[in-house]
Amino acid sequence: MTATGLRIIAGKEFSDHLRSRRFHLLFAILAVVAAVGMITGAVQYSKDLSDYNAVQMIAENEDDPTLAGNLAGLKPSVLSAYSQMGMLMAGIGVVLGIAMGFDLVTREKESKSLKSLLAYPVFRDEVINGKALGGVGAIALAMGVVLAVSVAIMALFGIVPSVDEFVRILVFGVASFLLVFTFFALALLMSTVSKDSGSALLYSLIVMIVLSSFVPIFAYTPVYSAVFGDAPTPPGMSTYSYQQSSSAYTVTSVAVAYKSDDAVDPEALAEYERASREYMNQKRAITDIVTLVSPTGNYQTILGAASQPAGDNTPGLGSLLGALARNIIALLAMPAAFFGLAWVRFMREDIR
Amino acid sequence: MILCDHLTKDYNGVPAVDDLCLEIPAGEVFGLLGPNGAGKSTTILMLVGLIQPTSGACSIDGIEVAAHPIEVKKKIGYMPEDVGFYPDLPAEENLDYAAKFYGLSEAERKRRVGDLLTLVGLDSVGTKVGGYSKGMRQRLGLARALVNDPAVVILDEPTANLDPRGVLDYRRIVKGLAEQGTTVLVSSHILSEVSKVCTSVGILARGKLIASGDREMLSRAAMQDRVTIDVETMTPMPRLTNPEILSAEYSQDTCSARIVAKHDISTLIAEALYAEGILPRRLAVEKPDMEDILLSYYTEGAA
Repeated sequence: MTATGLRIIAGKEFSDHLRSRRFHLLFAILAVVAAVGMITGAVQYSKDLSDYNAVQMIAENEDDPTLAGNLAGLKPSVLSAYSQMGMLMAGIGVVLGIAMGFDLVTREKESKSLKSLLAYPVFRDEVINGKALGGVGAIALAMGVVLAVSVAIMALFGIVPSVDEFVRILVFGVASFLLVFTFFALALLMSTVSKDSGSALLYSLIVMIVLSSFVPIFAYTPVYSAVFGDAPTPPGMSTYSYQQSSSAYTVTSVAVAYKSDDAVDPEALAEYERASREYMNQKRAITDIVTLVSPTGNYQTILGAASQPAGDNTPGLGSLLGALARNIIALLAMPAAFFGLAWVRFMREDIR
Repeated sequence: MILCDHLTKDYNGVPAVDDLCLEIPAGEVFGLLGPNGAGKSTTILMLVGLIQPTSGACSIDGIEVAAHPIEVKKKIGYMPEDVGFYPDLPAEENLDYAAKFYGLSEAERKRRVGDLLTLVGLDSVGTKVGGYSKGMRQRLGLARALVNDPAVVILDEPTANLDPRGVLDYRRIVKGLAEQGTTVLVSSHILSEVSKVCTSVGILARGKLIASGDREMLSRAAMQDRVTIDVETMTPMPRLTNPEILSAEYSQDTCSARIVAKHDISTLIAEALYAEGILPRRLAVEKPDMEDILLSYYTEGAA
């Protein structure tokens, strides 16, 4: 491989992306969405922080350690703003990735410039690698600008993240980049296998819908229940649920209460607990597998974990990355697989 | 300079190029002729390293294409039949992009691009290539094939979309290349174009080289088969007898005849008429034109 050919092609692709109206439009939408998300998140964060401080003051005045203890884990974090931005990014970023990649090869076929390009002193792999590299550069630039804009907006609101929060923001940025890159690589693959750009776009959208919406449906309760059965019902008892939430995350716990005159069979209760545990374990395993297959699922899992507020019970960054290792690997593996397939297909492309 | 050694390319078991052996010396302007589907473009794609031969080999300037494609690509300039460019870039940027791959400095690229656009008559066109006509693209394709000042230029159907002025410019450019000693391979099914610029030709049919040599040699070879002689006399002529005569058609008054012979026997016919005391009014040998020659070869190759 000669680095010259790769550099020339990557440079042209990068420049083409930056000059493309499509990129301008989507990048502008992305930047606006990020800015709006950040402003909304920052305003909400300020409000949550104010509410938290007020509750803490009441708890301290009431001298009620139970109340203070219950609310201690809910201290708002600046990362809640990124959580909101991330939800928007999952939609727009995916479109940006597809829009940047779906015609990279088909455009060359349609303009009949591919044959001439391959007749220059350049290896085939330099062509596909250069196209990918140019696209990755443009995505990285777009993500970098969006991240810089978000930090600038936080600074405007007087919010200064701590080192831990800043690292988590970087994790969010890298995950967002990988999400866009995944769909860029998918679109590049479709561009190599399709005869024209219209087909490549259509196939990309179909796979995107399958990965982002269709696959995760299997982990949702109604579909899951239809396939694997309902959760076991408790033996003759009354239940209630208690839910706490903030703008950034939701904590749900279920408590079971017994009336004093209820006759509970201890064996039935033990059987219910065993069946419940088994059901939940199975459901978690299937949900985890489904999430790993879905890039947006992985992204949202990473986003959710990275944007958890810092507190005494919050895992450190090392533990966080350890817990997210599978999702991070999946988010790395999927674009690698798409690009690998695109590479092989392009290398075998029949030029006539 | 260009060598094909038992070059074969199969597509799904069907040979597009079949055991092609061809040698084109340096400085030659060689015309590769053949009907559509004869294997001309496939041969060229193998020569420029875009496809691999099924068997056999080809080389440019002694370098085997399949083994050293980059070295070969640096030596050649190629214009494909369906010439394509980046439509959203002007001609200068399209050529500059191509020139970058050959390691030319920026100043050198700028000078070369300017010279080539002047050479092909596109120097005053400011629009993006997307707005070019087919003929203009063809001109630009020729310029791009010359961007690296190649030792070998390979042109696939170079005049397909050119207007008469464009064709004249193309001939001028190819002749200029020949004067510089550049080896040129022109593929075409338009014989008149090949005959105007090429010093030698090869004829492909069904992937096989069925004839090659200089134009005169091919013409002579074709004439060796049969010659038509038109005879017109002032008075009725007798039936001509000669072992060389293959067939003869006489008019009703036997004052004219169309003789088909194995060779040119016009002198013998004149002597025979003179011996009979008949004055010939017209005695014309019909030499087959190049199109007839080509068609005869195609027919022969297809048989």
